[in-house]
Amino acid sequence: MRRVVKTSPRNNIYQENVYRTGTNDIWNCLTCNLCYDGCPQGVNYSEFIKEVRDKMDSSHEVHKGVFTTLSELMSELNESRTSLNETGNADSKIGYYPGCLDFHDMFFNLDVDFKSIADSSLKLLEHLDMNPRIMQMKCCGHDQLWQGDKETFDKLKEQNTNLIKDSGIETLVTSCAECYRTLSQDYDLPVEVVHISQLLKDADLGVDSGVKVTYHDACRLGRHMGEYDAPRNVLTGAGAEVTEMQHNKSESWCCGVSSMMNCDDKSKALRKARLDEAKATSAEVLITTCPKCLAHLTCMKDEQESTEQYDYDIKDLTVFLAEQMGEK
Amino acid sequence: MSKLVGAVAVAGGGVAGIQSAIDLASSGLKVYLIEKGTSIGGKMAQLDKTFPTLDCSMCTLSPKLAEVARHPNIELLTYSEIVGIEGEAGDFTVKVKKKARYVDPEKCTACELCISKCPVKVPDEYNEGQGVRKAIYLAFPQAVPRVFTIDAEHCIYLTKGKCGNCAKVCENDAINYEDRDEEVELNVGSVILSPGFTPFDASQLEQFRLDHPNVITSLQFERQLSSSGPFEGHVTLADGSHPKRIAWIQCVGSRSPEIGRANCSSVCCMYATKEAMVAMEHDPGLETTIFNIDVRAFGKGFEEFYQKAKNEKGIRFIRSRPSGVEVDPLTNQLSLKYEVEANGINQEEFDMVVLSIGLSPSESSQQLAEISNVELDDLGFIKTEIDSPMETSRPGIFVCGAVQAPKDIPDTVADASGAASKASSLLASERGTLITDKENPPEKAIGDEVRTGVVVCRCGINIGSIVDVPAVVEYAKTLPGVVFAKEEVYACSSDSLAGISDLIKEHDLNRVVVASCTPRTHEPLFQDTLIEAGLNPYLFELANIREHCSWVHQNEKEKATRKARDIVRMSTARVNLTQPLYTEKIQFDNDALVLGGGIAGMTAALDIADKGFHVTLVEKEPELGGLLRTYTRLQDGRRTSEVIEPLIQRVESHDNITVFKDTELIELEGSMGNFNGHLKGDNVDEEIGFGVAVIATGANELIPDGYFSYGEYPNIVTQSQLEPMMDTGVDAKTVVFIQCAGGRNDERPYCSRACCTVAMKNAILLKESDPDRNVYVLYRDVRTFGKWEELYTRARELGVVFMRYTDTLEPEVTDRTVSVIDHLLGVNFEINYDLLVLSAPMVTPDTNEILAPLFKVPLDANRFFLEAHIKLKPVEFATDGVFLCGTAQAPKLVDEAVSQASAAASRACTILTRDYLETIGNVSVVDPELCIGCGRCTLVCPFNAPELKEIVVETEEIIYTTKKSEINPTICKGCGSCAPECPTSAITPRHFTGPQIMAVIKAYGEGIQ
Repeated sequence: MRRVVKTSPRNNIYQENVYRTGTNDIWNCLTCNLCYDGCPQGVNYSEFIKEVRDKMDSSHEVHKGVFTTLSELMSELNESRTSLNETGNADSKIGYYPGCLDFHDMFFNLDVDFKSIADSSLKLLEHLDMNPRIMQMKCCGHDQLWQGDKETFDKLKEQNTNLIKDSGIETLVTSCAECYRTLSQDYDLPVEVVHISQLLKDADLGVDSGVKVTYHDACRLGRHMGEYDAPRNVLTGAGAEVTEMQHNKSESWCCGVSSMMNCDDKSKALRKARLDEAKATSAEVLITTCPKCLAHLTCMKDEQESTEQYDYDIKDLTVFLAEQMGEK
Repeated sequence: MSKLVGAVAVAGGGVAGIQSAIDLASSGLKVYLIEKGTSIGGKMAQLDKTFPTLDCSMCTLSPKLAEVARHPNIELLTYSEIVGIEGEAGDFTVKVKKKARYVDPEKCTACELCISKCPVKVPDEYNEGQGVRKAIYLAFPQAVPRVFTIDAEHCIYLTKGKCGNCAKVCENDAINYEDRDEEVELNVGSVILSPGFTPFDASQLEQFRLDHPNVITSLQFERQLSSSGPFEGHVTLADGSHPKRIAWIQCVGSRSPEIGRANCSSVCCMYATKEAMVAMEHDPGLETTIFNIDVRAFGKGFEEFYQKAKNEKGIRFIRSRPSGVEVDPLTNQLSLKYEVEANGINQEEFDMVVLSIGLSPSESSQQLAEISNVELDDLGFIKTEIDSPMETSRPGIFVCGAVQAPKDIPDTVADASGAASKASSLLASERGTLITDKENPPEKAIGDEVRTGVVVCRCGINIGSIVDVPAVVEYAKTLPGVVFAKEEVYACSSDSLAGISDLIKEHDLNRVVVASCTPRTHEPLFQDTLIEAGLNPYLFELANIREHCSWVHQNEKEKATRKARDIVRMSTARVNLTQPLYTEKIQFDNDALVLGGGIAGMTAALDIADKGFHVTLVEKEPELGGLLRTYTRLQDGRRTSEVIEPLIQRVESHDNITVFKDTELIELEGSMGNFNGHLKGDNVDEEIGFGVAVIATGANELIPDGYFSYGEYPNIVTQSQLEPMMDTGVDAKTVVFIQCAGGRNDERPYCSRACCTVAMKNAILLKESDPDRNVYVLYRDVRTFGKWEELYTRARELGVVFMRYTDTLEPEVTDRTVSVIDHLLGVNFEINYDLLVLSAPMVTPDTNEILAPLFKVPLDANRFFLEAHIKLKPVEFATDGVFLCGTAQAPKLVDEAVSQASAAASRACTILTRDYLETIGNVSVVDPELCIGCGRCTLVCPFNAPELKEIVVETEEIIYTTKKSEINPTICKGCGSCAPECPTSAITPRHFTGPQIMAVIKAYGEGIQ
């Protein structure tokens, strides 16, 4: 972020912890963990940000805060869930949690079919002979946690945890990097949480696509959870030719928008930089594992009167793989 | 002309007069709008929906009524008649008789208290005699002015000296039984006649049995369909049940020379189709049948509407006109006898029969014509010429609307603006001489402390009898920011308004809430009061506790009071956060660009130039003249060159017009007031600036390749090829015309409007030049609408043979023969022809696809330019400052193109005559730091106000080029469509900010237990 705005982690920590004055600069942080990864002192600045934002009125959300309002409502209502109208195999010990994909479809008028991520994930799991139960959970609360609304997050966490416990599953699969991070790190679950790429990394999908792709590390899957290799292995295993962008893996740049905040002309510079890096690889497809990276990168790529031309497709990992399998 | 007076009298307050008045008043002239009835609005106010879009008629009209009522340059004289016109062009004295209303317009607040006490019931004219009104009445709920009138003929007090109830109950002392007619003299420079039409009186045709309760006129049916009508929108029979089978009989009082109504009434086919369609929407099981001679669906979108009615909605169109309505003497059952083509006579029963009555000149319009000393035509319409359709025989007196010929709303509106243009050209030097600007006191600073005043209106008994007004006042006093609250009997009465102004000063108020009625009609009134008291008008909020509360909760007084408190609380929460907003005055370029040098473009250019503005006229071809170079004759027998040559000469010699021929507009940027265009031609390469543009780029005749063997044989030509041939003499004993050659098909589903009239004209010319010649016209429907029906009659009298074909059974053409199945006889005919003439439709030039995105204006499905509103804005685009006329909008005849051209000029001059462009205060603004340039706002804005502009963003390390939205304040109407669409909340509608709306929602929430 400091590439595009004046921001100083050190100053923010001083203002907060030493002078106790606070600063508006804490809202600039994308919590992408790039600084933590490079910090010789090991300061976990993102965790610091998460804590100081607690109980502050963010009002920095984009899309009029509609996603936050929805989550708040969900935490108040009994019968509300984010997932799709299917139950899958109710006896399975494996649960699949689609996250808030259907709300993305509802509120974004982008040329992206978010639900296809869930459909593709189920298709891939089926290929692995896993016939999961579809988890009718509420929103995982990721955005509320990072927006400083811990109260809502805690409610969602409690309700979801009970639901998972009651379901009797042993493994919870997510296709979203944010859900994966949240359920693994910010929840305290008695089940194993995995990202779908981790299940697929050694699988034989029976395809040899030969498509030239590049992979954008979502910060929640990469730096937050340390998973860099699984998605790449899946892609290589499926015969895709993976070309790396200039900044990749632990040095990967952020998509520029975090937790439905920070969308403005400064963070757009980051998106542009990232899209330019992808363009330089001359890949046909830019792959990511986070629906938000997908939404925000696509938003810029598909602008009405863009000053830039990006010819490649942007796809979620699962959608790309399922499509390759379908073409076989 | 020795003297010119900068004022115009407009006679007739229907949609025509309204449009003329608005155009003239907005161009700096004083207008007297004189209406015979008690309210302006005319026949359009009685219609339920309008074809072909099924828009609510009143919903589109009532904003225009309100605009007239509020316009500072329009003086409204309703319930008034012109009794004399003396003088000459530029200086007329118009004598007007103002009939006694017996109600003081200054005091009446239209509270309706008097209605309930008036004992006299009179058949309601607004509902065409279906239902009753009282002797003291308002013509209809949206009437302008909102002043009651006592019908002296029926009032018991005025006729017998008894009763007097209305005076007793009126709390405002508005009743004045001593009121007398008075005569006023107006000095004006010009007069516009727009008295409209009268619906044909079908009772004189006894065979149609209008005496039977279930035989009604189309206008009565229109009222039945209306939710404000006698049966709240339910079509109802005399016994209270609802019909299952309804028949329409077309041409009642039209196309009937035997009763002196030879003309076609132009609108009936479409209104009947619309009425049937709307009735079926109300009752899906309804069976509807329209008996017609031809279905005249000739206007823009009409043919498509007709096809939809026939093929999708299942409306039956039967090509036969029953000679009367049969009534069974025993059962009273209605039935119709009609001819079935080639199959004898049929008789069918119906529950209801609607007579599609025609448009006739009214008696009062005939009197007006006499007073005005203008000539009438044989049918009783005011006489004009094809090339000057708004000019009467008396200079300085102009005409518009259905008094000139039967016509629909858009043609009437175009005429009306056109007539305004003519009057305005005459008086161009006197603009601004008779109008006065209002002086307002300086605005006071509002400071930081919120000091809100709340006025709760009783609206007589409207609110006061349901809502506990004193309780609401006491409650308002407890709300945050409120320093004063009181009640008023009528907040809108002039003494109350003065009272509000005093309160503002006395209590140093800096925000005002009036809890009364709808902002639609009353907000501007209260805002003016704020301005007069030195407060910014945006520091005001109207809490609607009448329409939204007392009227809809009449049986729940307690709950209504609670809701009134909620509404007042919410309004107060919002008003406390409002800030003063200011308009901006912007200098602009008052030159005009006219694209297209046909008759429309040249007329528009001259009309603008005659008002003193510079015009650049651009023509793609090497010569001016357009389509009328191809066609050589007009329907009235004149050569087109007689019309076009003097026009070209005037254009080319006009001081204010620069003509570029062989030139096209290739680039354009900017918006209303400040356009910059690039003209390119063989010898032209020029940048020009202009404030408004008129698109008059016309249409071409289709080259009908592939239709009826065109191009295969030399003796097959089109109408435009035939016309020059007739000058040298056509050597053909047998001539066959085929209509709709390449039109009304899947590829071009529209009707080309002019071809039937053109064909009649040419058939007559061929027959007249050689009476022994055989002329056949093969047609699908003969659409010689309006006065041009006369040509159809004449052609038949001369012996032209008409044979109908259908789209499924088209004539077959060989090198010498045409074979066609005549539907009337069911027999196949083979005609040996010497010359075959195809009537091909008008099609759009390819340049439309280039011009439309350049001006950011839309094209319709047939690639003609699409106007802003098909009824009321026929020559405007949703994009401000760009206008449209002639065949670029849709196929049309010469007089219609001329009227539209003058209309476009008139509308353009309402902008050009301004000293500066003024924005509104409540525009939307973009925060450039938050804008990410996604362009969503540009997609949703109905007015093209946001524009993406390229800028360089410099961040700490990354510098990049992107686009960002900029909202043009001169175009933005403050509707707020863009703001919710913006993903980053970069757009704020300044009078509906996020915090203001949140405050209202939160205030609402406070009321929930």
